[in-house]
Amino acid sequence: MRSRHQELEERVQALLADPANQAHPLGAALQELWEHMGEHVQRLERITTLSDSYQWMAREREKSLCDRLEGQLRRISRIVRISDQYQGVLREMNTRLQEISSRDPLTEAPNRRVLMDRLQLAHTQACNRASTFVIAMLDVDHFKQINDCYGHDAGDRVLVLLSELLCSELRDRDICGRWGGEEFLLILPETTLADARAVLARKLQAVRTLHVEAGPGEPPIRLTMSAGLAQYIPGEAVSAMLNRADMALYQAKKKGRDQIAP
Amino acid sequence: MKDLHLPGSQATPTISADSATGVLAMHGDSYPENAFELYGPVIEWVETYLAQSDKPLYMELELLYLNTSSIKAIMDVFDLVQAAHENGRRVAVNWYYDLANKRVGELAEEFTEDYTFAFQVIGRP
Repeated sequence: MRSRHQELEERVQALLADPANQAHPLGAALQELWEHMGEHVQRLERITTLSDSYQWMAREREKSLCDRLEGQLRRISRIVRISDQYQGVLREMNTRLQEISSRDPLTEAPNRRVLMDRLQLAHTQACNRASTFVIAMLDVDHFKQINDCYGHDAGDRVLVLLSELLCSELRDRDICGRWGGEEFLLILPETTLADARAVLARKLQAVRTLHVEAGPGEPPIRLTMSAGLAQYIPGEAVSAMLNRADMALYQAKKKGRDQIAP
Repeated sequence: MKDLHLPGSQATPTISADSATGVLAMHGDSYPENAFELYGPVIEWVETYLAQSDKPLYMELELLYLNTSSIKAIMDVFDLVQAAHENGRRVAVNWYYDLANKRVGELAEEFTEDYTFAFQVIGRP
């Protein structure tokens, strides 16, 4: 192909160069046509070069966009992964805080905050369902003497054992916790005063049978507890109910301790 | 150039940037309402420092909790550090954490991925 073109070009150039053809009317026309073709070839080359460079630019741009997109995707997945882990840490801390804020550190029994929440809940339920519930305020008899005679460590041991005893063998809906000092609060939803008395009688009996180690050569410490009960009176506020339980506990103590009132 | 001395708050870390020593230090929790507002000046300081001098850049970090936009902002800073490192600049990042809180160290390690500059996660008792 190339040689045929070349041949043609050479022939045309030879014809144009021949002085014999100069006067021929086709000579001028061929000269014009020759120049015209030359311009066309030049233009075609320019267009091809331009088009090629545009194509190259577009390809480069696409490549860099792909690279950038890949980089961004990788980065986003890293951010999400790290962020998820931070959230995990927060969740763990939250659970731990919840644990700390709801348990008494010595006995690990529910603390006063939890008891107050549960008391409010029992109160609301009793109001809504027109049912009843009982609270029992329990106090270790002569606890100060235990601390004074055997030391605070023994006192702490007593509280831990009593807490275990009082919190065990309860129904799922019941709750017992440390109200403060040597006082425990038991909440018995959907329970009558008579049933509550039976529960408390069993608990107080179990306390009587406890033997807490006092130290080498010492006889074990024996314990009793007093309990004051209050059954919910429709319309009564939680604070009033707590006051009645406190008063009942005071009565139990006054009548000689190791007993339930009323 | 203007150095940074931003006092921390409950939600934002204490940030200081000193162009004389080349140290950018950040410590505390970071969950600002507007991370762009907080870290915009930090990124600007790093860019200016890297552009206006050829001294080394050191980052001293002791960050605890980071929210998502803070994680992104910190990565933006690390990207600048990485680019500077690739251009032959001397850079180093030390991320300190309390050994009692191992999870914070593990999270700091997550940031080191993809970076080739000197990046150390250091547990302290």
